Amino acid sequence: MAYFVDRTVKMTWWERSYLPEIMKGMLITSRHFFVNLFGFIPFFLGKKKEREIFTVYYPEEMAHIPIAYRGRPVLAINEHNRPNCVACGLCEAACPAYCIDIIPGENTGKQNQVERWPKEFTIDYAVCIFCGNCEEACPEEAIFMSDDYEIPMLDRKEMKFNLEQLSVPIEKLKDRVEFTRKMYGKWNY
Amino acid sequence: MILELTITLVKILFIIGITVGFFAPVLTWVERKQSAIMQDRVGANRADIMGFTALGLFHAIADAIKMFTKEDFVPQGANRFLHTLSPIIAVIPAILTFAVVPFGGQYDLWGTKVNLVISDLDVGLLFVFAIASIATYGYVISGWASNNNWSLLGSMRTASQMISYEVTMGLTIVGVLMVYGTMKLTEIGAAQEDFFNWGFFLQPVGFFMFLAASIAENKRIPFDAPEAESELVAGYFTEYSGLKFGMFFMSEFIEMVTIGAIVTILFFGGWHIPFLSSATLLSWLDFLGTNWANLVLMLINVGVFWAKVIFFIWFQMTIRWTLPRFRYDQIMKLGWKILLPLSLANILITGIVILVVN
Repeated sequence: MAYFVDRTVKMTWWERSYLPEIMKGMLITSRHFFVNLFGFIPFFLGKKKEREIFTVYYPEEMAHIPIAYRGRPVLAINEHNRPNCVACGLCEAACPAYCIDIIPGENTGKQNQVERWPKEFTIDYAVCIFCGNCEEACPEEAIFMSDDYEIPMLDRKEMKFNLEQLSVPIEKLKDRVEFTRKMYGKWNY
Repeated sequence: MILELTITLVKILFIIGITVGFFAPVLTWVERKQSAIMQDRVGANRADIMGFTALGLFHAIADAIKMFTKEDFVPQGANRFLHTLSPIIAVIPAILTFAVVPFGGQYDLWGTKVNLVISDLDVGLLFVFAIASIATYGYVISGWASNNNWSLLGSMRTASQMISYEVTMGLTIVGVLMVYGTMKLTEIGAAQEDFFNWGFFLQPVGFFMFLAASIAENKRIPFDAPEAESELVAGYFTEYSGLKFGMFFMSEFIEMVTIGAIVTILFFGGWHIPFLSSATLLSWLDFLGTNWANLVLMLINVGVFWAKVIFFIWFQMTIRWTLPRFRYDQIMKLGWKILLPLSLANILITGIVILVVN
């Protein structure tokens, strides 16, 4: 919608004489300058915790990501060193971008074998839209949105992650598991 | 004779070293870093040598390497000779102005009088303005010789802006001349030994007008209509690359130093420390012996002068990252309708006050 800037603002004599307002502006910018100048020093001394500047030195240190953040989806590996996934294909069906590919493996009747597991599990991050529907659809707490957002690649083909690349031990996802139980509890539990 | 020649040569090398060798590369870093810190960013710190970033100081080296190795491009239909000549015309006056700017007083060192100015001209102040005006040709020619509409528009704006603000600048200086009664920059500097004799107290309005006009002369924000990147790509140096672009770039930074130096000499007491005369300092340093005391005094004064210059560079940078760009008609209005009458009134009032006081 178009809006119009009111250009007939009557400025006071004080504002029209430029200098006081310029001084005001420079006071603000130089305040930032000096606060930051001395606020950045603890970083260079190695005391990252003590500094009061909120600016994050990105490649060297990562920002604190809130737990609700949807980073790249990963597969949780349980304490028996196996994925929680049973290759039911619900995430595959729920994915609006069709970026998940699962080839299931089935029990052939052997003793002590897992009933059903994913032989191959591929997520194409170049296609993924990070909606989190797979996480919501999963009945086995197997797929989670992690807090990892660093997935740029030089080649599109490399963005297809296989089972090993997707695996993350479940201890690392504890908070997210808690969160999903709270969030999607009404559907899954 | 040879001694004098050596001293002059040392002074010239010092000035060239400190402007081209120190300030020009360091200011490219300062501009990035200061803008970053002011805007709560971390800023230029990606260029590293073996993992050391040195707060991003290596960006200056990276810049230099890039400029030296880039293709020197002359657009089709451009005047090759003038296209090459104009950056030189732009950068030389910026350095040349320093010939008359004193960066210290006069000292007796082992029987030799050392005057810390390369050439102590009687018309020093006029020389500064005469030389500074030549730079305008560089900018105008560069726009015309590029065969590019953006460049031409930028250089037209440069010409009109520099001419209008030079008037204000010149008239502002008249007030300073009337107060100190001399055009010799060394004498103007020496006359400001007493703190309340500084030009800032005797010519407060003149100081602000001079600062505004000189920033306009340097074409920096808020007066950067000639190179407005959102309107004219890059103004008069759109078609320049490599070291020719580097020369324009350098001339802007050296001019910043020049402005800082001239403002310091004219309005901020030159090489003097407030409330501390050279005689007092000398009496404190008496235990060193006359010659050594003089030498230490000289070093202190030179240090104080450059510290003030650095303060004014910081000030200009702060202005540049604080204010938005003026519209072109606002620049003209400010120049001709506000600053020009004000500077004339300044002269009148200065004259009346001098008449009453004497």
